[in-house]
Amino acid sequence: MSVSRYLASTVVRKFIAGLTGVLLILYLILHLAGNLTLFAGPDIFNWYAGKLESFGALLWVVEIALALVFVFHAIIGVQVFLGKRRARPNGYAVSASRGEPSRQTLSSRSMIITGIVLAVFIPVHVWMFKFRPTPSIMVGSHEVRDLYALVITAFKQPLIAWSYVLVMGLLGFHLRHGFWSAFQSMGALNPRLLPLFYSLGVVVAILLAGGFLVLPLWLLYGVQAPGM
Amino acid sequence: MRFKLKIWRQSGPNVSGGFKEYEVDGVIPEMSFLEMLDHLNEQLVKRNEEPVAFDSDCREGICGTCGLVINGMAHGSRHECTTCELRMRQYRDGATITVEPWRARAFPIIKDLVVDRSAFDRIIQKGGFISTNAGSAPDANAILISKDVQEEAMDAAACIGCGACVAACPNASASLFVSAKIAHLGLLPQGQPERDSRALGMIQQMDAEGFGNCSNHGECEAVCPKGISILNITRMRRDYMGAARRVNPRKSGE
Amino acid sequence: MKIDTSITLDANAPSGPIDQKWDKYRSQGKLVNPANKRKYTIIVVGTGLAGGAAAASLAELGYNVLSFCIQDTPRRAHSVAAQGGINAAKNYQNDGDSVWRLFVDTVKGGDFRSREANVYRLSQLSVNIIDQCVSQGVPFAREYGGTLSNRSFGGAQVSRTFYARGQTGQQLLLGCYSALMRQTGAGRVKIFPRREMLDVVVVDGKARGITCRNLVTGEVESYAGDAVVLATGGYSTVFFLSTNAVNSNATAVWRCYKKGALFANPCFTQIHPTCVPLQGETQSKLTLMSESLRNDGRVWVPKEKGDKRPAHQIPEGERDYFLERMYPAFGNLVPRDIASRASKRMCDSGHGVGPTGYAVYLDFADAVKRLGKDVVRDRYGNLFQMYHEIMADDPYERPMQIYPAPHYTMGGLWVDYGLQSTIPGLHVLGEANFSDHGSNRLGASALMQGLADGYFVIPYAIGNYLATSEVLKTKVTTDHPAFKESVASVAAGTKKLLSIKGKKTVRDFHWRLGRVMWDDVGMSRSQDSLTRAIEQIRALRAEFWEDVNVVGGGDFNKELEFAGRVADYLELGELLATDALTRNESCGGHFREEYQYPDGEAMRDDDNFAHVAAWKFNGDGQEPSLVREPLVFEHVKPTKRSYK
Ligand SMILES: Cc1cc2nc3c(=O)[nH]c(=O)nc-3n(C[C@H](O)[C@H](O)[C@H](O)COP(=O)(O)OP(=O)(O)OC[C@H]3O[C@@H](n4cnc5c(N)ncnc54)[C@H](O)[C@@H]3O)c2cc1C
Ligand code: HEM
Ligand code: HEM
Ligand code: SF4
Ligand code: F3S
Ligand code: FES
Repeated sequence: MSVSRYLASTVVRKFIAGLTGVLLILYLILHLAGNLTLFAGPDIFNWYAGKLESFGALLWVVEIALALVFVFHAIIGVQVFLGKRRARPNGYAVSASRGEPSRQTLSSRSMIITGIVLAVFIPVHVWMFKFRPTPSIMVGSHEVRDLYALVITAFKQPLIAWSYVLVMGLLGFHLRHGFWSAFQSMGALNPRLLPLFYSLGVVVAILLAGGFLVLPLWLLYGVQAPGM
Repeated sequence: MRFKLKIWRQSGPNVSGGFKEYEVDGVIPEMSFLEMLDHLNEQLVKRNEEPVAFDSDCREGICGTCGLVINGMAHGSRHECTTCELRMRQYRDGATITVEPWRARAFPIIKDLVVDRSAFDRIIQKGGFISTNAGSAPDANAILISKDVQEEAMDAAACIGCGACVAACPNASASLFVSAKIAHLGLLPQGQPERDSRALGMIQQMDAEGFGNCSNHGECEAVCPKGISILNITRMRRDYMGAARRVNPRKSGE
Repeated sequence: MKIDTSITLDANAPSGPIDQKWDKYRSQGKLVNPANKRKYTIIVVGTGLAGGAAAASLAELGYNVLSFCIQDTPRRAHSVAAQGGINAAKNYQNDGDSVWRLFVDTVKGGDFRSREANVYRLSQLSVNIIDQCVSQGVPFAREYGGTLSNRSFGGAQVSRTFYARGQTGQQLLLGCYSALMRQTGAGRVKIFPRREMLDVVVVDGKARGITCRNLVTGEVESYAGDAVVLATGGYSTVFFLSTNAVNSNATAVWRCYKKGALFANPCFTQIHPTCVPLQGETQSKLTLMSESLRNDGRVWVPKEKGDKRPAHQIPEGERDYFLERMYPAFGNLVPRDIASRASKRMCDSGHGVGPTGYAVYLDFADAVKRLGKDVVRDRYGNLFQMYHEIMADDPYERPMQIYPAPHYTMGGLWVDYGLQSTIPGLHVLGEANFSDHGSNRLGASALMQGLADGYFVIPYAIGNYLATSEVLKTKVTTDHPAFKESVASVAAGTKKLLSIKGKKTVRDFHWRLGRVMWDDVGMSRSQDSLTRAIEQIRALRAEFWEDVNVVGGGDFNKELEFAGRVADYLELGELLATDALTRNESCGGHFREEYQYPDGEAMRDDDNFAHVAAWKFNGDGQEPSLVREPLVFEHVKPTKRSYK
């Protein structure tokens, strides 16, 4: 069977959606761990950011891969959504969920919306924290970008901080369904794992979204900006 | 009992339809939902109005012919119950009930509440079988199958092909139906020789028919009158990925 | 009644010992050259076990097959509804079963009104059926060791019934359907769903095609071929309320009857003892509770007449387990006709339960105590659930209420040993023919017969017919005048129904016909009731053609479909009553009040009625004539059937 037909199949697409979804989650976990060093203060955070940068070319490779994963994931998500519209051109006048054991939730129904929000958020976010000119400071003998200052200045603006909170909330929604769904899509579940992963979805969503969410709030209300 | 019905009427495949309201009186709680519609139709005929077209046959939940979306739910609100098994005692006297056909591009409407589900046949034609000619079988007990495997296969084989899974799926996906057949045959030793070609063939046809992809909403399992589990869907994906990896492009004739 | 002796009905069974007849038929029958097979087109009407298996097997052999059914897909034929199981003389249980014993049980179960040679072949083939189905992936119940499991069914003292939960028919049919879809995918079968056959086309005395209505577009279409195989099921819906599907009908066989095929034993109808009782006038069908329930359920009524106490308040000593009392050897597992009649007698004499007094209890309390709820659920879970949905009552806690209902028709088109009707080239399979069950069918034997006919008999029979009939030399197309005529007459029939525009609904007529049939031609019949029924049916038929209202157009129109079927039933009902009136004896499902022993058991008359009564159509409004095929019992000597 030709590779293109094989790739075009709905099953493979969902496999890729799941795989890229899991990779994105893994990235988020690392990213959150890194971000939590903010709590430890500017030195540690900037040291961490500097350490990352010291990987140089390797970091670039990883970042490009991540970008690809992200794009693939988004494309498939949008395709599934468009396919669904095509598959039912005339909708129901009334529609309702039967409830248990349906896994249809607000979260599962709004994947495309939360996804699009993330799609808009991420480039803005990356531009904000990565590609914008950043003041640098010395850590030991190295000159590194003063990311700590950048972040904290950003989050001192309530609009930005609250937008982040909102996006993080939506991310939580995306993950509530996305987490277990990814494994279901990769064919990884069985009678024991399905209920487990379904429940874990809530935990993962709360931990990740919650973890990211406290940062802007803490920075907005809890911490004095340096030099202020 | 007395009900107000909002029923989708559409005179043919390529025309537009709309809801029409009817009152039915003299309904008894023991009546099935379809008997209630029969009752309405009797009254319509007496008034020389065209009766509401809907499909049914066995009227005991096994043939898979019937199927209506009732108040937004495929086969109504009862768990593991087909439209023909649903009784009017489930509804409050005086209630308004909305009745629609299965809606999916792959299930075009023929008339009123009747849809064309031949897409399912075409999917089965692409591998939903074990190739064994009459007369060629070994003794039935020559193949031992553990009770657990047989039970699991039977759970999947119980699918009645009604299409409620498609109707209820927010994506109009046929994954539950297709996966049930792939699981039934794929679990059994007899089904192993064609396991790969079956998964590839059936899924390709499913895609070609214009069903949506599966987002794991699991609504299908909730409405399935035979309680077919979405675990079959994850298994089907496993089978497909495995098959696609193993498949030899030269042999498959492409 | 005219007896036609100008026709002799020859079963054409090979001579020789009974256990060698089938081998002889197979080895001496004419064969079609493999390269020639694809030049033949076989029309198969019906996609149930019989038709589905036939279409698939014929295509496997290389014939070009056209397959028709009423439903939207072949997988929904009414065979799908069979619950309990399928018999086979595998003797996996080592409990003394054999081909011979299944043969004897079936002949005896049919109350000595079936053809020995056919029944013996059926028993032989039963073994191959199970092998075939397992190889298709039918998930029959199994033991922990992985071997196949069996249960007992009525009329047998061995455990020979194979089952797939309470969905045996569904699983077997899905097996057939998958084989059929495989052949359809391979291009050897073309399927025509949503088509109703309304005529058989006969050219030069041979069946060469069919005319049918496309139920979606309303178009009248005709198809030509080299042989026609009919497997359109039974006619229990002549009673309106029955365990059959609402689209089940006799139209196809009836139209063949009117084209010259003889109709055999129409009065042999089976009333099934365990069905959910009738609940109201608006009901559309009766639901069967599988016979397998009688394995573990005990049938009883209160000893006291008119005892209205709920079941659990009636102490053990005040219950009458009447089947166990009357038939100690078989107990609750007596054949259906016996169980049905016993229940009716109990209710008629005032012992019935439930709101109408027309129900008896089927109690699982003992089974639940003995086996535990889980085992009971494992065996009957889906039936209990079905019952629960209908009655809103829990059979694990309280006994089921059951009552007999029309279920199966042993009668059907007459066929010879090769399943050919009296019209050459028209073969009839499954419930649509009359062949194997005599005057009463044993449980789990219809599935067996349908599959034996379809998978194993018709492939040989068709080959034999094609090779000897030289149809290839006289290929016909639908341009032949016989086809044009057939299409015109079908179209005229449809038009006529639409043009009456009377006052009464189709269902109204069907309901009233059903009442007449049930009351006067049902579980027990008498000369009076039958004469009355014939008059009533005639009147109803006249009224129908004056006053029926078929609303809607000639395209997709369910009312029109039903109207045609009811019109045919209004004729078939009369033939059924006539046959019952002519058969002055009681046997199997046919019970004439005049012919019974003092204890109420059926009194057979082998001297005068050991024959097949086949009816010949002589034109509308004319009396049909009777042709007899004598039955000879060389191996199972007719005795009074006793299950005591
Ligand atoms: C509820 C129930 C339970 C049963 N349980 C058992 C059991 O446990 N064991 C057992 O052995 N038997 C059982 N039986 C009996 C058995 O199921 C049937 O006798 C058998 O399945 C009949 O098979 P068939 O192929 O002859 O016909 P069917 O399965 O009835 O098929 C008839 C086919 O003909 C088609 N058809 C009909 N009329 C036309 C027409 N005019 N034009 C075109 N197509 C037409 C239909 O579409 C259908 O495809 C049961 C029957 C019922 C009703
Ligand atoms: C960091 C960001 C993201 C993470 C961690 C993430 C994670 C996930 C996961 C795990 C899934 C489940 C996959 C599956 O069911 O197979 C998923 C599904 C989905 N994602 Fe994302 N996602 C992210 C960004 C996005 C973006 C940017 C979009 C773009 C529009 C998007 C759209 C979707 C959609 C529509 C689905 C549902 C797919 C379906 O219905 O089958 N996601 N996501
Ligand atoms: C409060 C929450 C967050 C904070 C404080 C934060 C902080 C940062 C910072 C400081 C960087 C720049 C790192 C560098 O330049 O080395 C960054 C990069 C990035 N962030 Fe976040 N982030 C948050 C949430 C998120 C979320 C929710 C996502 C995804 C959904 C995300 C995705 C990314 C990505 C993709 C990059 C670019 C990574 C790279 O190029 O290496 N971030 N983030
Ligand atoms: S999976 Fe369930 S809902 Fe879908 S067709 Fe089969 S029985 Fe119907
Ligand atoms: S509801 Fe639809 S999205 Fe998948 S799990 Fe069921 S097919
Ligand atoms: S009519 Fe057969 S399942 Fe409902």
